[in-house]
Amino acid sequence: MSVLATLEENIPSLRRYAWSLLRNAGDADDLVQDCLVRALEKLGSLRSEGQLRPWLFAIMHNLYVNRWRRTKVRAEDATESPEADVPVLPSQQASSEMRDIMRGLDTLPPEHRQVILLVAVEGFEYAEVAAMLGVPIGTVMSRLSRARDRLRDFVEGRPQPVLRRVK
Amino acid sequence: MTDQERPITDDDLHAFVDGVLDAGRRPLVDHHLAAHPEAAARVAAWQAVGASLREATAWKAREPVPARLDITRLLEARRARRWQPARIAAGILVALAVGAGSGWMARGPSMPTGVASVAMEAAAVHRMFAAGGEFAAPYDAAARAELTAWLSRKLGRPATPPDLSGSGFHLVSGQLVATDQGPAGMYVYDGPRGVRITLFMRPMKKRDMNAPMRPMHGADMAGYVWAQNGLGFSLVATEPMQMLHGLANHIRSDMGARI
Repeated sequence: MSVLATLEENIPSLRRYAWSLLRNAGDADDLVQDCLVRALEKLGSLRSEGQLRPWLFAIMHNLYVNRWRRTKVRAEDATESPEADVPVLPSQQASSEMRDIMRGLDTLPPEHRQVILLVAVEGFEYAEVAAMLGVPIGTVMSRLSRARDRLRDFVEGRPQPVLRRVK
Repeated sequence: MTDQERPITDDDLHAFVDGVLDAGRRPLVDHHLAAHPEAAARVAAWQAVGASLREATAWKAREPVPARLDITRLLEARRARRWQPARIAAGILVALAVGAGSGWMARGPSMPTGVASVAMEAAAVHRMFAAGGEFAAPYDAAARAELTAWLSRKLGRPATPPDLSGSGFHLVSGQLVATDQGPAGMYVYDGPRGVRITLFMRPMKKRDMNAPMRPMHGADMAGYVWAQNGLGFSLVATEPMQMLHGLANHIRSDMGARI
C-alpha cells in the first residue's frame, strides 16, 4: 500500500512535467493516465520503492517518445490558440515573466526541454536523467548547456536562431 | 590530473547551479566565477531561468488531481480490464436474435418481450453454454468474487449467486451475458446425478418489472421465469425436474430479500 501512496504523491509532479512538455492540459493528463496505468501494470518489476520516482518518469518518457510525439504539432498549435492553458497568477508582472519563460521553453527542441525540466524543475540527478532518457550523461550535460543558454538568451531578449511564430 | 588542476567546465557550472558540486571543486568554481564576470553572469542567468521555470509550472503541481488519475479508480479499471481478456471476454455470450426460431415460448404473451424474452435468452444461453459441459474460464474463488462484483455493477444491484447447497446444487460457473436487452448474468449449478441448471438474470425494460412465476417448457428443456423489482429471472434445466419449481421458489425468496 505504501508504494501506491508514493505513486500517488508523484502524480502532481508527473502532471507538471507532462504539461510543461506538451503544453496542453488534456494531452498532458492523457499521458499521465497512460503512465499510471503502465506503472500499475509493471509495479512488480520495480526494484525498490526509492526508485519509484525516476522509474515513473522513465515510463512517461517512453510513452512520450513512442506515442505522444505525434501529437506535438497539435499541442503546439494549441499553445497559440486562445484556449491554451494560461496559469492563474497573482500579479500581472509575474504573469508576463512566466509566459516569457514558457514561450522560451516552447522554442527548445523536445530533447532539450526534457532535460532542463527534469533537472531544474523536477530535481533529478544527471545520471538519473541519462538513465531515464537512455542517453549518455555527456549528452545530458550538453543538452542542459544548450537549453540553459538558449533560455537565457530568450529571457534577456537576444535574437534566437530559430524562433517560432509568436502572435 | 587532480581536482586542483582540472579546468572549470560547463559541467562544473551546472553542478554549481544544481547544488551538486563536489566540495573539493567548490573553491575553484567560486574563484573562477569571481575572476570571470561573464561566467558569473551566465551562472546567475541559469539560476534565474531555473527559478522562473519552477515558478511558472508550480501551479500545475498544485492543481487538484483530476478524478480520472485517481489511483483507486485506475486500479479498479485495471481489474475489470484484466477480467475481460482472460475470463469475461472468453465467456461473453451474445444472446442476440433469440426469437421464434429458438422453439421456446413462455406461457402467456406470445411476443418475445417482457419475461418471455428473458425465458428465451435463458434457454439460449443454457443450451449454448451450460449444457455443453465445458467452461471457457476457470471459476475459482477469486473469479467468483470478481464476477459477482462485476455483475452487481452491471445489473445495478447485489447479484450474489443464491446458495442452493441445501438442495444439493453447487455453483460451478458464472458468466456475463450480452443480450440485445442489455447486460445479463448467468450462474450455473451442478446437482445430484449430474443435473445442471442455469440461473439467468437481467434488468427488465419497462414491461414486466414484476411478474409472477410461470413454467417454461420446450423440446429439450424445462424451467421457470419470473421478475421481481425490475430484475427478470429464469431457472432452466435440461430435463424436466420435480425439484425445479421448489428451487425457483427458493431463489425467488432469496433474491427478493436482497434486491
